[in-house]
Amino acid sequence: MASGSHNTAAPGFGQTYDPFAELSHHDDIDEALDFEDTYDGLGEQLDEGDDAFNDDTFGDTGVSNAPVGKDFDFFGQTAKVSDAMEEEHQRFTRQQPVPKSTQPAAFQGYDTGYSAGYSYHQPAPKPARTGYEKYKQPEPVSELQVDASIWGTAPRKTHTPVATTQAPAQPSAPPASRKMMSLEEVEASMRAQAKAHAAAQPVQPSPQPTYGAPEPQVPAQPVQYPRQESFEHHQPQAQVDNRHPQGFPPNDYQQMAQGGPHGHPVTILQRPHSKHTPSAEPSVPSPMPHQHQPSIAPTQILQNPSRDAARMGMGMPAQAHQAHQAQGSFPGQPQVIPQASQLSQLSEQEKAAFVEAEARRAKRNHKIFAMSKDNGLMTPQDKSFITRIQLQQLVSATGDPNEHGTDAALAEDFYYQVLSNLRAGQRPNPNQPLTNFAQTYLFQTGSRHGGLRRHGRGPENHVQRMEQQVQRAVEAAKNKPKNKQLVIEGSLGKISFSNAKTPKPLLNIKRTDSGSDAPRAGSSHRPQATGNIADKKAALRDIENVYLTLMKMEDLVRNMPPPPQPNVQPDQEFIDKQVEYERLINQLWNDLKVHEPISTSTVHPFINFISYPKGKKVIPRVFRHISPKQRTTILTMIIVHLDQLDVVRGAQVHTGEPITLNAATRESIELFSMAVMPSLFQLLNESELDIVTGVLGLIIQGIKVDLVARTRIGVSMLTMILSRAELIKQAGQANDQMWQQWVATFNQFFNILEPTLPNIFPGTVTSGEDIYVWQFLAAIGIGASPDEQQRLVLAVKDRVMDTVGLAKTLPADMAKERLDNVNLFMRSIGLDVELLN
Amino acid sequence: MAEGEEGPAAGSVSEPLDLVRLLLDEVVFVKLRGDRELKGRLHAYDSHMNLVLGDVIETIYVVDDDDDDDEIRTTTKKSEMLFVRGDSVVLVSPQTSS
Repeated sequence: MASGSHNTAAPGFGQTYDPFAELSHHDDIDEALDFEDTYDGLGEQLDEGDDAFNDDTFGDTGVSNAPVGKDFDFFGQTAKVSDAMEEEHQRFTRQQPVPKSTQPAAFQGYDTGYSAGYSYHQPAPKPARTGYEKYKQPEPVSELQVDASIWGTAPRKTHTPVATTQAPAQPSAPPASRKMMSLEEVEASMRAQAKAHAAAQPVQPSPQPTYGAPEPQVPAQPVQYPRQESFEHHQPQAQVDNRHPQGFPPNDYQQMAQGGPHGHPVTILQRPHSKHTPSAEPSVPSPMPHQHQPSIAPTQILQNPSRDAARMGMGMPAQAHQAHQAQGSFPGQPQVIPQASQLSQLSEQEKAAFVEAEARRAKRNHKIFAMSKDNGLMTPQDKSFITRIQLQQLVSATGDPNEHGTDAALAEDFYYQVLSNLRAGQRPNPNQPLTNFAQTYLFQTGSRHGGLRRHGRGPENHVQRMEQQVQRAVEAAKNKPKNKQLVIEGSLGKISFSNAKTPKPLLNIKRTDSGSDAPRAGSSHRPQATGNIADKKAALRDIENVYLTLMKMEDLVRNMPPPPQPNVQPDQEFIDKQVEYERLINQLWNDLKVHEPISTSTVHPFINFISYPKGKKVIPRVFRHISPKQRTTILTMIIVHLDQLDVVRGAQVHTGEPITLNAATRESIELFSMAVMPSLFQLLNESELDIVTGVLGLIIQGIKVDLVARTRIGVSMLTMILSRAELIKQAGQANDQMWQQWVATFNQFFNILEPTLPNIFPGTVTSGEDIYVWQFLAAIGIGASPDEQQRLVLAVKDRVMDTVGLAKTLPADMAKERLDNVNLFMRSIGLDVELLN
Repeated sequence: MAEGEEGPAAGSVSEPLDLVRLLLDEVVFVKLRGDRELKGRLHAYDSHMNLVLGDVIETIYVVDDDDDDDEIRTTTKKSEMLFVRGDSVVLVSPQTSS
């Protein structure tokens, strides 16, 4: 507030902050002290220079480690519960046998101080804080541990028996720990002990039995320091004053993270060692001298033989985990780098190679580092959690992947489903079962985890769990109520569910099937639009109806149950579907308007139909469903109206003039060739000679052959008919009578066509788009009589000669192309362009 | 083309969008907000009049304020494929000239 009145109750102003004020409330044995709560940061302001008088203040403690006399009972209270604690300790060791066996004996010098004062109250679930580890090696450090009793004006009644050899000896003493010792008492006792232990001190370095390889000798050193540090923490009353002359602020912090809580070595310190291969460890240079350790962070150095471990030590436990992961990115690095001494022995070449390799490795390491900068932000568990969420979304969004082809799947993703059906042949298993789906996807993540972390069971568990989750998600998706609305009793309306795929409908308009219900008063009285517009709209509507029916049919075919065995009664569903299919075929046929009466005044609806691009495109799809008879009807329909087709009607070419078709017509012709012609061609190739004869007869009867023959589509159609007849003849499938009919029809056709022949070539001789004409002439020539062949040659002689002449002026390859085209025709009548030269 | 034309097979036309349906795969003229016009083949549409057009010619009309005579400039762009968000569509019409 801006009132200016100072809140004297607020901490920080004029008030001495008592870091241990809170401690007095913490009588609860289960509550561990948090260092952060107790450390006020004053240590950072310490003036180390005043340490000289420490001894005056505290007595000669620097070398003392004497066992405490029995006149102090720091463990009296603890002893009362020591049995229970021992039990817990046993249980704990059984739970975590491996890490504990290597439990740092090296720490024990200060462990005694710390664990006693601090954190062994931590319950088992937080192994980081348990103090039980020290019991692992009680014997060799018994002397060291005595120190704890010096500082321990045990503020807690639950002091652990720090040294099993000594502490148990004390429980008989009256419990004094509840009452704080005065400073004088503490000092007196310390002095007494210091003297008593001065002699015993040097003996201690030896007992460091099991701590890992790195610094066998170093652990001896903490002997001197732990006590000083311990001072700070275990003289709660004197704390604030005492720490000034002697504290090691950084140490405090680090100890907090490392040494203090005994469980930490298990989770943090042990890890780097399990990470490093044993051979790597020794190569890491020990960062400290063995004697006279400066009073900076002895514990830290002690506990962190390697750089990584040191990093870990600086951080909080959570960060330590991260560091642990990041470290995994540089596997084996220490081993690879040869020692400098080795380097000097190498030859120049080897040196160069080494330098190069070194540079490469450095580069690679840098790259790895750059990439792994943010590694470990997520634990594998986090990642698998995210993956599972994603999978669940995937499954619930798309439904069960097993349900391919069902209505729901189709409605959800029609084009994908159809496409996957069409491509089904190309893939080994389009309907990949869900389990495979999950496994395929999860295996990758699983194996990646496996690479990151060594313990083998983890990834599999993730995979399994994710599979289970996916299964559950699928189940849930299956059981999800299909209706998208919920009517709650008593409410006035419906509650619509919505999600991203099916947004909540704001309008719900029922669409009447008849459509006639729609009020169309205005339009119904309108006079029929005349001519083109009405035709166009009708044709467009027909096309859309055809597509609609086609889609229904294709949908039906997709869901059609497999045909029953020949002698098995087909089930009702199959019969129903067949009936429905027949009905749709009829509807399709009606929509095609093929049977509309043929009138001379207007264009037939079907011809109008296929004048639209989409009308042409639909023909192959229609042909797949309709019967051969219906196909033949369509063919007949097209032939009869050949001169009315849009691709014929305005598409005549004029020999000797440049081709002047507009782009739309060209496109249309192209589309017709691609979409309609193959269907007709296939149909004709399956037809008998009578049909072929009939088709040609239709052409010569009702159609202006002159117009048709001057279009590409017309010529192609004629070529198709003529070549089919020739194929039938060569296959010997035609009887004499039918063949005579054909020959008669052909002769008639030739007579009609002959005048047009010179004019069927598109463009000028240089246009070069006349290959289809030569094909046509070849088809005529093969079937023609010698007399007709002669007339044929006469009719097209000019074009032949012109082309041959042009070929001489063209580059060789182009000339050959032109001549080959001409030869298509020439060879059919037993000639060759070579003869003309 | 007039809407609501009742041909012999009016069954399939029961709402305005059914008329747009007839224009599928046809060249359409689309007028947009912001003085733009499109001409292209209609590949797809939906109830929001979002459109997918192919081989589109877009014409943008710009009035030059600089000149006093308010001259109208047009800019044309060609696109092979265009997705048009429905909220900008003012009008869809069959391409009459062919």
